[in-house]
Amino acid sequence: MSARGNVLAARGSVWRPVVARISWQRLLLLLFVAAFFAYLFGPLIIMTVTAFNSADYPRVTPWDCFTTQWFGRFGRDSLLLAGLANSFFIGLGVVLLSLPIGLAAAIALSEVGERARSLLYTVFIVPILLPGIVIGIATLLFWGRIAGSFGLGHDTLLYNGIFLTILGQVCFISSYSMLIFLARIQRFDPTQTEAALDLGATPGQAFRKVLLPFLKPAIGSAAVLAFLASVENYNTTVFTIVSESTFTTVLASKVRFGIDPTISAIAVIIITTTLVAAIIQEARQRRLAARRREALAGVAAGAGAAAVMAGPTGRLLSHPASVAVLLLAVVGGLVWAGSRYDSSACQDALLQQKLQRQQELLEQQRQRMQQQAPAQPAPVPSGAAPKPASPFGGVFAPNNLGLSAPGGAVPAPAPPGAAPKPASPFGNAFAPDNLGLSAPGGATAPKIEPGAPAAPADPAPATQ
Amino acid sequence: MSRDVTLEHVTIRFGSHTAVDDAHLTIRSGEFFSFLGPSGCGKTTLLRCVSGFLEPTEGRVLIGGEDMRGVGPNRRPTALIFQNLALFPLMSVAENIAFALEVRGVGRQARRKRAVELLELIALPHVGDKKVYELSGGQRQRVAIARALAAEPQILLLDEPLSALDLKLRQHMRSELRAIQRRVGLTFIYITHDQGEALTMSDRVAVMSEGRIEQVDEPLAVYDHPKTSFVASFVGETNVLPATVTGRDGTDVTLQTDGGLIVQGFAVGRRQYRAGERCQVFVRPEQIKVAPPEPGPNRLAARVLAEEFEGNLRHVSLAVGGSVGGSGGAPAVGALAVGGQPLRMSVVNDGSLPPLQPDAALTVTFDPSVASVLPEGPLARA
Amino acid sequence: MSPNGIRVAFSRFFHRWGPGVGIFVTGSVALWIVLLIVLPQLAMFDASFRFNLPPAEIGGPRDLHTLSNYAALLLDGRGGINWLDLGVLGRTILAAVFVTILDLLLCYPIAFVLAHGTSGGRARLMVLGLIVPFWVNEILRAFAFRIIFGSSGVLNAVGLGLGLWAAPVDFIRQDVALYAGLTYTYLLLMIFPIYNAVEALDRNQIEAARDLGSPWWRVHWRIVIPVAKPGIASGATMVFMLTAGALAAPQILGGPSSLWFTQLIYQWFNEGGNWPRGSAYAVVLLLACILVTLLAMRVFKVRIGEIGR
Ligand SMILES: Nc1ncnc2c1ncn2[C@@H]1O[C@H](COP(=O)(O)OP(=O)(O)O)[C@@H](O)[C@H]1O
Ligand SMILES: [Mg+2]
Repeated sequence: MSARGNVLAARGSVWRPVVARISWQRLLLLLFVAAFFAYLFGPLIIMTVTAFNSADYPRVTPWDCFTTQWFGRFGRDSLLLAGLANSFFIGLGVVLLSLPIGLAAAIALSEVGERARSLLYTVFIVPILLPGIVIGIATLLFWGRIAGSFGLGHDTLLYNGIFLTILGQVCFISSYSMLIFLARIQRFDPTQTEAALDLGATPGQAFRKVLLPFLKPAIGSAAVLAFLASVENYNTTVFTIVSESTFTTVLASKVRFGIDPTISAIAVIIITTTLVAAIIQEARQRRLAARRREALAGVAAGAGAAAVMAGPTGRLLSHPASVAVLLLAVVGGLVWAGSRYDSSACQDALLQQKLQRQQELLEQQRQRMQQQAPAQPAPVPSGAAPKPASPFGGVFAPNNLGLSAPGGAVPAPAPPGAAPKPASPFGNAFAPDNLGLSAPGGATAPKIEPGAPAAPADPAPATQ
Repeated sequence: MSRDVTLEHVTIRFGSHTAVDDAHLTIRSGEFFSFLGPSGCGKTTLLRCVSGFLEPTEGRVLIGGEDMRGVGPNRRPTALIFQNLALFPLMSVAENIAFALEVRGVGRQARRKRAVELLELIALPHVGDKKVYELSGGQRQRVAIARALAAEPQILLLDEPLSALDLKLRQHMRSELRAIQRRVGLTFIYITHDQGEALTMSDRVAVMSEGRIEQVDEPLAVYDHPKTSFVASFVGETNVLPATVTGRDGTDVTLQTDGGLIVQGFAVGRRQYRAGERCQVFVRPEQIKVAPPEPGPNRLAARVLAEEFEGNLRHVSLAVGGSVGGSGGAPAVGALAVGGQPLRMSVVNDGSLPPLQPDAALTVTFDPSVASVLPEGPLARA
Repeated sequence: MSPNGIRVAFSRFFHRWGPGVGIFVTGSVALWIVLLIVLPQLAMFDASFRFNLPPAEIGGPRDLHTLSNYAALLLDGRGGINWLDLGVLGRTILAAVFVTILDLLLCYPIAFVLAHGTSGGRARLMVLGLIVPFWVNEILRAFAFRIIFGSSGVLNAVGLGLGLWAAPVDFIRQDVALYAGLTYTYLLLMIFPIYNAVEALDRNQIEAARDLGSPWWRVHWRIVIPVAKPGIASGATMVFMLTAGALAAPQILGGPSSLWFTQLIYQWFNEGGNWPRGSAYAVVLLLACILVTLLAMRVFKVRIGEIGR
């Protein structure tokens, strides 16, 4: 290798283009990875930002006022809270059922012969591949059938949404936990069991005292995964939940029928929780790894090697418990500061500004209409676009237009571009902005134009 | 009570493959007994059969006269030290050692006490609270032994326990193991592919090849009086001379080697050779000496090919052309007499032999009583 | 697996871990397979052949088997073909294939970089970065895409602000949002199988090929991709099946004119109140997905046993 490198280096003319090409490729790859992670995190970041914008439609631009009001709404949403409670119970039930099943399936796989294994594996993996709604429908129908054949009424367990949802979710989440247990069991050294038996343990004792402890980390991660998968599941749950609701189904109906920054606020809470958990977990992992390294170093070089590790302060700071405390303190502080933050002054000012702006526009329009009325009954929409008078610049222009439309009390002054698609969730391109202007006023000031059909309260009329 | 381990015509097959073929022997109570053989010869299989993880396909395993068929590993008076030790990585050292007591329902205090005693026994008094991965290889080795001893077995089975250690430690652990065995007075059944280990530690050694037990004997007898050509060539260094029998007088056999040498040896197992029969003569390198001036049997004219120096020993490669006084004269350089191989001679480096130049001529000899004559064929028995 | 094979396997559990564990293992697996997987599917299959009767008549004389539910998917009732629903099915399958390919193109380089381009702390961080977004609810992720792609969303704000386009583009009607969201949803299911497969590759092999002067694409085509194939098959199967069966993303991000087949099923259950019809549609979806998957496996010569590894 190195000899070859030398030869190439000597023939510089050959070597240099190679280097250039490689670094060019690396750069491209780097860009790709960066773009990929932007795709992964971009939506989450943008959603996070919108949670702090006082505009009624979740958006980043134009920025109205920094606010924390959307977080408060979440705490007062009884539907969501009820769904959250149900989700918690369902998640618990799913964990309690799918872990033993997944464990049993993994053990079964590790014990059977080669041919039986591939067949059994295929059976175990099928629930992951089944479309979620198929599982949901099948579960719903099957237990309904059972209940029917026993003559049970609709108030019994077999018709209970929570019960059905647990069973439906266990069907495929068991496969997930099976995969996790299997990955761990494959690293199990079977002579461990033999050693236990040889030392006088019964097979049951060998299982409890040797295999189960070995699987403990997998039990933890399978439980977390099963719980998360349960809480976030929609496709199966939406069928099996019947008349109940879960956090996700409530969220889904909110998102489908109305889109407002409260949902962004919920996302921020979830993302923060996730991040905190991830960081604490990472600190724990690092500590375990460091301990192991330290122990090995200790064997190799005696106690002196321990001194190589970080000093006491660094160690204390990187301890998972202190990391957790630190993070929780930061988050708690932010929550406290956020709950005391009052954006009403800013919002009032903004509202005043907008009202004033609107007055001016109304005035202008009225004048224009008076001038044009005899000649042209309909307003000229195109004339609205390049409003030089707008203090908000080009980006804000559509806003003005949107406002002026209903405000002008003209039957159909919408620009031609927006006209053909009023049914689309965003059919009226300017509706959400329109909403953004009118709603914050809702609390502090009367509606600007009560008579105008402004934008629909939810800009997402379900397509179904 | 006697705790002899008896293998009665034990055969173990995996499908069509015979891993152990008709093992038939008795290991006496309190003995340090080794199975020695190249890897893959069925040693582990045999041991797993004694410890109860495998049932013999044919034959019986008896411990203390009791047939062990159907008795699981957890109910046999044996404890196995696994080739990879199989210590429990999630338990502390003390928990590992006390595991056998824990599964028997012994209380925490008593367990702790016994663990401390056993740690004393293996001379690691302070490691009880450490994790297994914090120990060095030799320490793990001893902990595995302590864990097995805690089960209070009558028979300790050890499957190549030293193979993972480095050379120095391996040699140290040999004497350590032997000392522990003397202290606890148990039967040790030890498996190894390392003849040095088998010969230094054991009371008796069984040499195995391809599932068959070739010879069961005391270490010295195995080395000095190999009963089969496999044992002769597997245990220790040796010179192999293919030859044809020319005459016999009791156990003394006269032969002509394929290189034309006339040599004398003894018939292993008092086998009655006929003139003209093909056979092999085995002579250890250290049994080959520079011949004294006075006449005697087995005087061979030789020429030095090369010399290797290994500290305490000097290994000399010789070309031998014919017996002195036989076909006469020193062999030409490059002439090889011994089945295409040079004759190897090992001499203690005590200054008695002057430095040898390549190509130097000398006469070497060996005593007929150390030249084992065995029938030809790799697996032939005397 | 022969009955004898099953018996041997079960006796092995009992022998190896004792009767308690043996009963637990066989019992749990049997309950799972029979009660949660097989019987419900059979119930759905059976329901798809029944008339939509009021509860009182179920089990009564009129509760007979029929093919009418399948006929309704195929025919429009006026002697013609039901192009509407069949079209939705076809479009769903095609779109799922498209999303699968998109995911493969995105994930293969990432999986490769993860396996052979980084190590130690950076690789851990990368894995963490891959996993964390997926701890956030699927609904919320779809919602985030709606914020981005809405006509007054971030993308339009940026595009208009930079003057890239003059009027807001309706990314939702164009299904851009839907594809972006669906592609996002099952990224992990593509990355990790490929990663697992590629990780087994000896790095020396790649370097040797590079050393011999192979251009990077040939190294991938001849050395890496053959090794990655089981992972790609596994990931592609999962992504395809789950995308074709997705409901949340199409409901939230789907344009008004492009229904997903799962939405039809949903409608039969919720708005239409015709469960047998919905079941029939679900059975058809399932069969179509399996068919496409088996076909793809045939073409690319992989076995189902390799999935999920
Ligand atoms: N469970 C088994 N199934 C099939 N063949 C086996 C099994 N265990 C060992 N063998 C075979 O039996 C022979 C002896 O193996 P083993 O006893 O492990 O040898 P040793 O310990 O002497 O190295 C080997 O050829 C090995 O392949
Ligand atoms: Mg072995």
